[in-house]
Amino acid sequence: MKDIVLQLKDIAKYFPGIKALDKVDFTIRTGEVHALIGENGAGKSTLVKIMTGVYQPTRGSIFRNGKSVQFKTSHDAQEAGVVAIHQEASMFSELTVTENIFMGHHLKKASGMLDWKAMTRHTADLLNKLELDISPDTLIKNLGTAQRHMVEIAKALSVDAEVVIMDEPTSALSLKEVEELYKIVRQLKNEGKAIVFISHKFDEIFEICDYFTVFRDGQYIGEGEVAKSSIDEIVKMMVGRSLNQMYPKKEAKIGETILDVEGLSLPGYFSDVSFNLHKGEILGFFGLVGAGRSEVMRTIFGIDKKSAGKITLAGEVLETTNPGLAMKKGIAYVPEDRQEQGAILEMSLSHNITLPQINDLSDFGVLNSKREKNVTEEFGNKMEIKAANWKVNANTLSGGNQQKVVLAKWLATNPQILILDEPTKGIDVATKAAVHKFISEMAGEGLAVIMVSSELPEILGMSDRIVIMHEGKVTSLMNRDEADSDKVILAATGHGQGDRHE
Amino acid sequence: MNKKLEKILQNRELNLVLLTAVLLIAVTLRAPSFLALKNIERIVNDTAILIMVASGQLLVILTGGIDLSVGATIAFSGMAVSMLNQYNPSMPVVVLILLGVLIGTLLGAFNGACVAFGKVPPVITTLGTMSIFRGFTFVLSKGQWVTAHEMTEAYMNIPKGKMLLLPNLTIWAIVVFIIMFYFIRYTRSGREIYAVGGNKTAAHFVGVSEKKVNFMVFTIAGALCGLAGVMWTARYAAAVNETALGFELQTVAACVLGGVSLAGGAGTLTGVVMGALFLGIINNALPVVNLSPFFQMGIQGFVVLAAIVANVLMEQRNDKKLLAGRRR
Amino acid sequence: MKNKIVLTMLLLAMVSGFVFANGGGDKAADAEKTKIVLLVKSLGNGFFEAVADGGVEAAEELGNVESIYMGPSSATAEGQIEIIETLIAQKVDGIAISANDPDALIPVTKKAMKAGIRVISFDSNISSGGREVALAPSDTNLIGQQQVKLIAELCDYKGEIAILSATAQATNQNAWIAVMKEAIKAPEYKDMKLVDVVYGDDAADKSYREAVGLFEKYPNLAGIISPTTVGVLAASKAIEDEGLKGKVQITGLGLPSEMQHYIENGTCGQMALWNPVDLGYSSTYILARMIAGDIEGKAGDKVDAGRMGSITIGPDGETIMGEPFVFNKDNIAKYASIF
Repeated sequence: MKDIVLQLKDIAKYFPGIKALDKVDFTIRTGEVHALIGENGAGKSTLVKIMTGVYQPTRGSIFRNGKSVQFKTSHDAQEAGVVAIHQEASMFSELTVTENIFMGHHLKKASGMLDWKAMTRHTADLLNKLELDISPDTLIKNLGTAQRHMVEIAKALSVDAEVVIMDEPTSALSLKEVEELYKIVRQLKNEGKAIVFISHKFDEIFEICDYFTVFRDGQYIGEGEVAKSSIDEIVKMMVGRSLNQMYPKKEAKIGETILDVEGLSLPGYFSDVSFNLHKGEILGFFGLVGAGRSEVMRTIFGIDKKSAGKITLAGEVLETTNPGLAMKKGIAYVPEDRQEQGAILEMSLSHNITLPQINDLSDFGVLNSKREKNVTEEFGNKMEIKAANWKVNANTLSGGNQQKVVLAKWLATNPQILILDEPTKGIDVATKAAVHKFISEMAGEGLAVIMVSSELPEILGMSDRIVIMHEGKVTSLMNRDEADSDKVILAATGHGQGDRHE
Repeated sequence: MNKKLEKILQNRELNLVLLTAVLLIAVTLRAPSFLALKNIERIVNDTAILIMVASGQLLVILTGGIDLSVGATIAFSGMAVSMLNQYNPSMPVVVLILLGVLIGTLLGAFNGACVAFGKVPPVITTLGTMSIFRGFTFVLSKGQWVTAHEMTEAYMNIPKGKMLLLPNLTIWAIVVFIIMFYFIRYTRSGREIYAVGGNKTAAHFVGVSEKKVNFMVFTIAGALCGLAGVMWTARYAAAVNETALGFELQTVAACVLGGVSLAGGAGTLTGVVMGALFLGIINNALPVVNLSPFFQMGIQGFVVLAAIVANVLMEQRNDKKLLAGRRR
Repeated sequence: MKNKIVLTMLLLAMVSGFVFANGGGDKAADAEKTKIVLLVKSLGNGFFEAVADGGVEAAEELGNVESIYMGPSSATAEGQIEIIETLIAQKVDGIAISANDPDALIPVTKKAMKAGIRVISFDSNISSGGREVALAPSDTNLIGQQQVKLIAELCDYKGEIAILSATAQATNQNAWIAVMKEAIKAPEYKDMKLVDVVYGDDAADKSYREAVGLFEKYPNLAGIISPTTVGVLAASKAIEDEGLKGKVQITGLGLPSEMQHYIENGTCGQMALWNPVDLGYSSTYILARMIAGDIEGKAGDKVDAGRMGSITIGPDGETIMGEPFVFNKDNIAKYASIF
């Protein structure tokens, strides 16, 4: 039996209104690559942050080599040999490789001066070990994504880490680079390091990982040896829940085609995307992060400019050039990041809800407060926003209610097409169900809905049809009754419909 | 603390009222005549120009920008109008005021165009135009002043005299306040300013044009500076090249004191007026409290900083209470 | 987009460069002529504009002299230091400076003198060692005593008197104020009391506020002495606005052209000033004579200064031009048209 280097027991982490993690056990052993599997929002990132001292657990304990420890800061975790390599490399792009690697634990001479000579030498050794052909004095900004990742790994090695956590390390790498990464991972494993490998991609997990632990909705679901499991088993653990409760999809009468997209392309993001959308339909868009789904929606709404393709709205070819025009044509777009793109936090609820239509709500530039009030109340109440009154600022509301404000704002424009990008990301279960119920009702009334989601159950539970994208291309289109989680996941990871992975 | 007072303190402007009261009491303890009605009227009148210009500054700061050229804009438009008055004494005062506003508007529009269409950050734009407009003032005046004997009585009377028991200048400020209050609160454009300042991306998504808003706020700020230029030169019966030197900092200070977020998106006109009055009180109190002139500037800075810190602290405490209340 | 930023900034830079190039007033260099620079506290001040006129007048009389007028856009020692550095590089022949700080300029003026440039100061002087000759427009004692006498005449030798100065660090202002404090102790002023000295920083709004503050603090105030043009102007306006004309008297040092209105309408009964034209004229003459080698600039040297007659260099280079001139209702119109 391999030695247990890090063990988490009964870990819980609560945020206001959300249980991000609850009753979580996680055990890491030396010389093992351990896959941490779960959907987006399952709590993987939160767990990583607890392991590296960024967050403090609300409850539970962490054991390092059998001794109970507390990581109050990421520095504590680093001292204890636990290091994370993040999804988006967090580096100082204007500094050199050496400076980045030794940031926070500079080597000093006896005099107290920084010993750059020694640091540069160490860096050269590390880069050599990783077989990287980079000078220690190169600026980070001059490196490619893959090379940056390698430097991150070198940084982890520089502190002599025993536990190396890699958060979706391959998401930005080419196939060849992935192979190099595997080589390094195996090398580290042979040296007796413990590696936590977070990934969405089953081929990777089966290629490189020895052991896996599955999370769902912030809870520990199960674990096992990769070699003794199948993709099907793991997918079931990832998804498995009663779909009907959370997703009160009503039967809706599918009407005529309202939107027809043909060969839509945006170089670097997606190409040749075609689909159509009917009145009363909920069209789900599934794919991994970076599959290009949001970019397709942004392009339809006129935020990004398409390079090719045709968008036909209700028979009229739409050359959308800006969001204002798209709005006028009856398209509403609820973006993914509501803090960045959705609600205006310093603004009152009322002002937020009426913002998209202040043109219509004003006479000669002067706002009609009565009509504003009517709109606010109608849609605010419809969305069941919980707030003291409509004059409080959006930042006083919980995340779920903020999302409702954004939904209300767009519904108030009386759209023909509602595009929802990750409508329930990061909100609590109760609000989630309310949003689902609402989406279902709106579709029932004849609204055409596009729902982009990375949550498989949501996609399966809510959609009439599902468009699945992988690396900028539509890989599959399934009807509600023919879709199941295996098929969808496989299509989303670039494996053709029905293909089975061994 | 009792409930009622707590409720009052949840409002940032009222925090400032409280701080202003403390300041007034402190000054009055040293100079009892300070609280006399006549003196209060004098302070408000003295602050009138600051209120006008700071309300323009408010718009710019609400979008997340800053206008450092307000002092220079005041100087230029004030000089231009004073010279017009000097060389065409027959030109009606109404025309002079309108021309002042027009000149300010043009200078502001230049700032706005650089920021909105040239994509130059506001700080850099207005840092440049601060020198440019001041330089233009020198060029225009050839370094000469326009003083009382070169101005017409009618011109000097614009801010002087009384109407409805209040000095004219104060009335001008009240009119500006009412128009700006209405504009910010009840017009589409006013709402768009908050939207752009609060969240550029979200504003873009709902079709609000950031360019239009940026151009508009600088133009309005310029127009108000133009009006202020007329008022300033008429009030002191002197148009000099150093008019309103450093005034931009006072207007920014008035905004910050009034609770306007320099990051944009948050702040009210009433807050700014309160902030301006607070500064006005300090400006008028310092001469009467018998302090060494060497201390005056330091004390002014200290009081302003202390007021801002106190205001922020009070607000943070209120926020905590608000959050606690929500969780319950 | 980046290009746009660069372009706009370039434009801004060009426009500002143009503006200041004009403000600097450079003229085509003429290698033959002796270049004498009048470096003033700041541009855009009527007083110094008149100084410049005097410089030009002297240069024309002398024939082979080019008079150059320069100054920073705001009254700072830093601005003057920068200009002097440039002048050293340009190798001018002489600089006459009205200093914003008596000491801060010394290192750079020493450097200038080392480089062979003759340096004198006028109006607001540089401390000994930082110049060869210090031309005072008038004697500090004379000015201070005259100011007290002027206000005494205006308020019948009785009542409370206050002083409204420029900045608290202004060299000449402080020297005059010190003399005034002494002078008012004389027996003829026994019914007068100097109650306060306040500082308006040569800004119209602050000076006005300080004047109003004086009315508040001293309800029985009889008179204000303001030995600076902005101050005397703002105080006159404040007296007028507050309806105190006749009750509070005002005198000081001010430019006739700026003060014409208040002197003619009686708010300000009389005020004094040396003639800035003469100051620029004399400075240019002294420098020209030094450069030509006619005099050394040592104590006892007598300078033939054109229409000003003979000016004697005093001990330590300290030299007095003449006495302040009093302006009143009768002569103001005539002088207002000159400066």
